[in-house]
Amino acid sequence: MTTTTVRVDAFGQTDIGLRRKTNEDQFVIMTLSKAAELRQTSVQDATVFQELSGQEGWLFVVADGVGGHRGGELASKTAITSLVQYIGRAVSCFSGVDPDGEHQFLEQLEGAVHEAHRRIFEELGDSGAGGQGPATTLTMVMLMWPRAYVVHVGDSRAFFLRNGRLRQLTQDQTTGEFLMARGVWTEEQARKMPIAGALASALGAPEMKPSVGLVDLQPGDTLLLCTDGLTKFVSDERITEVLVGAGDAESACRELVEAALAGGGGDNVTLIAARMVPG
Amino acid sequence: MIQKKVCMVGVFGTGKSSLVQRFVHSLFSERYLSTVGVKIDRKSLELDGIPMTLVLWDLAGRDKHEDITVSYLRGSHAVLYVADGTRKETCDQLSELRALARDAAGDVPTVLALNKSDLVDSWMLTPDYESALAAEWEIVRTSAKTGAGVEEAFLRLARAAQAPKRAQS
Repeated sequence: MTTTTVRVDAFGQTDIGLRRKTNEDQFVIMTLSKAAELRQTSVQDATVFQELSGQEGWLFVVADGVGGHRGGELASKTAITSLVQYIGRAVSCFSGVDPDGEHQFLEQLEGAVHEAHRRIFEELGDSGAGGQGPATTLTMVMLMWPRAYVVHVGDSRAFFLRNGRLRQLTQDQTTGEFLMARGVWTEEQARKMPIAGALASALGAPEMKPSVGLVDLQPGDTLLLCTDGLTKFVSDERITEVLVGAGDAESACRELVEAALAGGGGDNVTLIAARMVPG
Repeated sequence: MIQKKVCMVGVFGTGKSSLVQRFVHSLFSERYLSTVGVKIDRKSLELDGIPMTLVLWDLAGRDKHEDITVSYLRGSHAVLYVADGTRKETCDQLSELRALARDAAGDVPTVLALNKSDLVDSWMLTPDYESALAAEWEIVRTSAKTGAGVEEAFLRLARAAQAPKRAQS
């Protein structure tokens, strides 16, 4: 694993948009740190102790609630608060050198999502067979430099930008994607079906299947997490252009929100940009 | 529970993700979606009465923009190399990929899946070429589309990962 260090320049923003009465999106950016300072030792090669000092992780989460009568707003809020509580309680900073530890760490991140799913059912009620109750998407990235662990449910998205090329890390969990993955629909058929965009997996919904992945980032990369209020109204090309041109994470977020509003603003829009600034 | 990390390595478009989809979810789709970074899936199974979980790391394939990221291979217990039998050039890069992977993963058990075996009319590997490959690799012909050979490829690796010394002797 590389020893290069970076400064993380992260910023998040949410906007109600132009057509919705409430904002059902939520986001959170947190740092997690574990500091162990070596004060004195008789061990001659003390590098192992130095490796433990100042480990730091970053947690980025966006969630897009669905369900009337403030249900969606409560679902996304419950998901984020539950997730943060679980991670604070149960997930340790992981140094990335031990594969068994890494799998355990990934299971803990998934466990946090399952716990949030359970809390939505418990606190906001079972959505029942019709799946009409409060539910939420959730896209989470835990960055333990240089590795970014991604746990994802629903149709919010995580991207990363490298050398001017935007790559999508997540796959939408919608009915359309679900049926295309099974070879039932072609892309053309999915485009014509109104239900193709319906969520096939969400926290609080009858189906909740987190997908898990990771990517090793490099200095100069930018992470982007967003709800579909951005991607439905702003093209990937325009997103790329903004991320490449922005001087910092805050201006990137502000410009992308403006672009979503200029593109119609038909939904709440929420995003997090995190730039890996060479240190 | 015993967990074994298995990495999928190969050139882009050889069907690594499709093999995982077939093995884990019994699904297949013709649609091609390139993997970005690593996608992780798990498959629980029982070998000789011993339960184990394969943690499958489906690595983005090597393409003209990016090579494989070798740091993903660290700590692997086994590697499944995947080549596309209808594109001989995907086999020609195997030795190079193996050298890269060995640097990171060490000398762990491997299997080579010659994928897309259902495409008989487009198959580009002559019997001689396959024999030459078989001298260097443990080969399984697979088809993510029909499922042929898929379970065999993963189970061979699982068995070898469970008893690595025996598998490599």
